[in-house]
This record gives sequence, C-alpha cells and structure tokens, in this order.
Amino acid sequence: MERTRGMGIRARIARRWENFGLPLLFFVLLVIFSTLSPPFRSAYSLISNFRFSSFIGIGAIGMAFCIMNGDFDISVGSMLSLVAAMGSSFLPKIGGVSAVLFTILFSTFLGFVNGVFVTKLRIPAFITTLGMMFIYRSLAYIYTNNTPVYIENPFWLFLGNGSVLGVPFAIILMLICYVVAFLLLRRSPFGRYVIAVGTNRETAMLSGINVDRTKITVFALVGLFVGIASVVISANLGSANPGMLGQGYEFQVITAVVLGGTALGGGDGNLWGAFFAAMILTYLKNGLGLMQVDSYWQFVAVGLVLIFAVALNRLKFTLLGQRQA
Amino acid sequence: MKKIIVLCIVLMLIPLFLFAGTGEKKEGITIGFSLWTMEFTFFQNLEKGVRDACEKFGYEYVMIDQNSDPQKMAQDLNSLVGQKVDGIVVTPVDPGAIGPAVQNARNAGIPVVCADIGKSGPVNALLISNNYEGGQLAMEFIDKQMKKKSSNTKKVGVGRVQPQWTYARQRGQGFMDKAKELGYTVASEIVVAVPSAEGGYDTMQQIMSAVPDVCGVFFASGREAVGAANAVKAAGKDIIVVGYNGDPEELHAIEDGILHATVAQQPWFIGYDSVRIMKEILEQGKEYEDAVVPVKVELLTPDNYKKWADEAEKRRGTPAY
Repeated sequence: MERTRGMGIRARIARRWENFGLPLLFFVLLVIFSTLSPPFRSAYSLISNFRFSSFIGIGAIGMAFCIMNGDFDISVGSMLSLVAAMGSSFLPKIGGVSAVLFTILFSTFLGFVNGVFVTKLRIPAFITTLGMMFIYRSLAYIYTNNTPVYIENPFWLFLGNGSVLGVPFAIILMLICYVVAFLLLRRSPFGRYVIAVGTNRETAMLSGINVDRTKITVFALVGLFVGIASVVISANLGSANPGMLGQGYEFQVITAVVLGGTALGGGDGNLWGAFFAAMILTYLKNGLGLMQVDSYWQFVAVGLVLIFAVALNRLKFTLLGQRQA
Repeated sequence: MKKIIVLCIVLMLIPLFLFAGTGEKKEGITIGFSLWTMEFTFFQNLEKGVRDACEKFGYEYVMIDQNSDPQKMAQDLNSLVGQKVDGIVVTPVDPGAIGPAVQNARNAGIPVVCADIGKSGPVNALLISNNYEGGQLAMEFIDKQMKKKSSNTKKVGVGRVQPQWTYARQRGQGFMDKAKELGYTVASEIVVAVPSAEGGYDTMQQIMSAVPDVCGVFFASGREAVGAANAVKAAGKDIIVVGYNGDPEELHAIEDGILHATVAQQPWFIGYDSVRIMKEILEQGKEYEDAVVPVKVELLTPDNYKKWADEAEKRRGTPAY
C-alpha cells in the first residue's frame, strides 16, 4: 500500500478507495442482500457463491495481466470450450490427472499461439483474438461433432465440486492462483516488465525490455489460467458442451478486471480488485435472483454497478494525478 | 499490504459470523423452479403451469431464471438447495450439465423433477412431449399434402435442433424414420446453428440451394420453422413447411398461410404435471426414480388451430396467440 503522507485530503481518500473500495462495496452488498433476502445469508449460500465466483475469478487473473500489458484477449471463452472438450474427452484413455495436465498445458499453448500472432503479425490483439475466438469455437464443434462430452471421472469432478476440510476445493485453488499471480506481478522482474510495457511500450523497449517476449508470456499466462478455469467449470457442470461452455466468458472476466480497477489503457492494475469484483458480480446476480428480480433488470443492475465502479476509478485517477484508462 | 489483507479478511468474515444462519426452512411445502428463460412463450406457459399447480396445491413457489446460462443454472440449483426447498422442478438450458447439481439436491433429500428438455444425474422424473411421435405426425402431414398434388418429387428436408437437446432430437429422428417408411428421401438434414427465426431462414435457404426440388421440410423448433416459412415465401417456392411447438408466431404464420402446420406441445400441462408428480412424491410417498413421463402432442393445421387456441386460452387464462 502506497503511503498517503504528504497527499491532500482528496488524494488520500482516492488512495483509500483504491485499497479498500471494492472490499467495502462487497461488504455492503452482503449486508443489503442478507437483510432483504434471508436465504442469501445462509452459510451454504454464501460458501456456494464463493465457489461459483472462482469460475470468473481464476480467468480474471490472466485477463488482468493481459490488460495491464496493454492488450485484450477475447478468445478466452472459445478457448475454454475447446480445451475443456478435448481434455475431458481423453479422460477414459489417460485418466484424471493426465487429462487435467493436458488441458492446462494445451490451453497455455493456445495462449502462446495468440501471443505469437499478436507480436509477429503485428495485428492488434483485439482483432487477432477475435479471429481466434471463431477458430477455437469452431474447432470445439468439429472435434466433438457438436456433441457434449459427459464427465464421470472422480478426480476431474472433485476439482469443481469437492471440498477439503469443508472448504470447496475451487475456492482453495482460486486463492492459490491469486497468491502466485500476486507474487509474479509484484515480486518478480516479469511483473515490472508487464506493467512497463503496458504503460509505455517504446520506453520499455528503450529500457532494454524484450517487449515481444513479455507479450507472448502474458498471453501464455492467459491460456494457463483459462485452462485451470475450464477444468473447474466443466467439473461443476459434469460436462463440456462445445456450444454452450464459455459463452460470454470473455465479457465476464473483462468486466471483473475493469470493475476491479485495472485501467483499460494498460499500465498498473489491481489484481485483488479483480478478485473482489468477481465475487461482487457473482453475489449480485445470485442476490437479485433470490429476490425474484426479473432477469433483464439483473443485467441492468450489473451494468450500473460496472459504470459506478469505473466512474469512481476515473475519479481516483484524477485525484491522484495518474494516467486515466 | 498486510494490513489490507487482514482488513479484507475481517470484512469478509464479519457477515458470515454475524448473519449466516442455517437457512431456516419455511413452514409448508416450498417448490423451487429453475427455468431456462422467460424470453419465449413456450417457457412462459410452462412457468404458468408450475405456478398454477403450486397455487392449487397450496405450495410456496420460488422461481429463478437461468438466463440461458448453464453456469447460472448450476448455481441456481445449488441456491435452491441452500434455501432448503422441499422439491425442485427444473427446465434446464443444458440438460447434460445438471448432473452434479441434481446429485447435490438428492444428497440433501430434495427430489428433482425435470420439466421438459432433458435430464442427467439422479432425477426422480422427466416430463417431456412425445417428440418421436411428433416428428412422425409432421411427416404424415407432408405425405398427405403431397398426395393431393400432382408432383412426383419425394425429397424432404429437416432442420434439427442442437445435439445437447437429446429428447428434442427425437423429433427429427421420428420425422426421418417415417419419411423412409413412406418412401421419401431425406435429401437434406441440417442442424440449425443459431436457434432463432434468422437461423431457420438461413438454414432453409441452404436446403433450397442444396435440394431445389425439395417438396417438404420439417423444422424441429417453432421460431425456426417460421423463419424457414418466410424464406420459402421470399423465394416464391411451393414447399410444405411444418414446425414444432405451437408458439404464437407459428399460429400467426398458419393464419397468414405461410406455415402449413405445426406439432403443438402442451407446456402448461408439462409444468402443471411436474408439480403434480412432486406432490405424489412429497405427500404420498410415491416412488419415482429416473422415470420418463411422455406428454401427448397434437398436429395443428389451418382446419383446427383456432379450436386448439381457444381451448388453450380457456385452460391457461391467457391467449394462445
């Protein structure tokens, strides 16, 4: 946490918001829904929603790195569908552990491919990954002949549904992923390169940073976390449906990252913000559903929360005199 | 940084300790209903059937919309388990993906009945239209119409639904089996990629391009059939188009003379009978395990669709179209 000594009062408030804003918003959300809808506050519901927030939360890690690095990857939903379908199809032949490892490695490779196309073909990442989005989804259809893959392997299913000492494994996995990602971003040179390239590519290059290598590694990281998320999500559903799995996933994770306070223009971001944003989005939708709010109004609510949080972030940037998104 | 982490953990734990309860159960029977979407008339009628049954039997009723999202579907089912409802009725957007959530409900002692679409996992029962028979009715109608015409062509086409809707796929299978039985050739079989009127329109154009002398087509979903009928009208061709569902837009299309027939399902009955079966399980201790309960379908043509619509309106209390 950056020190606030020497800052004006408004800058201090902005810095406090940066550190505590989303946890506070999450807490307020919990209190409101717990008051308005008693079923929401059962321990079962709270823990269940925490588990479901891991599906967006894990994917948001890679996307946060990507956006901090100054890029987008909108192929993540289709990538998730393809790797889950392929990986789960191998379960009867190679077993649970090998299939999970294959899924994560294959997904990392697909992210690597995205990175190579972006850096070597010099096509903007949005356009490149838009094309890859169609390719990955189509490959998922072709590979499975447009038929869902049903999952019965106990190891795979455990990853999305099992618990350790009463704590859902998906939550434990998400927390581990966030700690590792935090250390990578804040305690390693690679993390500084990611932010430097996202802040100013030319300056980073002149500083001796290998920009292409950094970008390719970031895209591979996106693939890595998508691979982990694909296993957890498909395990929770007990199937990998090429047509339905991952639909809209890219928008969910981008929303979580932006809501979490990472600037769309690149540069420094807020990894833990993405963590809380994923939880806010999950709990918000569940709370509104339990209150019998019409589904279309739920979308309105999510949109308003996003605009509100981004507006506050822009205000924060202004008060701190930082470069805006 | 440590202070932030500590503060965040405290903020998260406070509501769990202060507010978390055991999820006290309401008195009386509560039915939780998780529905694919409220966007289409079919599902609106199905939901009304569930709601009317709950009202008639004196049950509390909780409905959650899946918003056509399989992940939300699983989350909603878990949410109903957390609310400790007495029974769950579900119309799943992805029937293959409810297995773990259904197992969770059954582990909690909550029976699960699927209202249409399909099932996976240890459900107590599935109520679904007799889709195979419906497909056969569609082909029999086309054959009857072709016998009135002087044309010799015996080629038909079919626009099928996506593979994950395994029970709805039986519509296409029933149609194709009856076509072979009656001496027709299924010259084109296409899965409608985008389940919508636009998808039906595009698929029909593909069929007409691939098989210029096709005499009749069957689309296994109502809105797709209406799209296909519009494509035929736009092309100025004389092709018999039959749909499936009995949606308002199909009835309008029959009235306008662009759609020749449809196979009507009974969504209100499916919803109502799902709760009736739940009542048998909860109050009478009747055993249902992985049971499939077929619901009759009916062929609607220009001769009888108005009478069917009037009867449906009397039953549901809302106009059929």
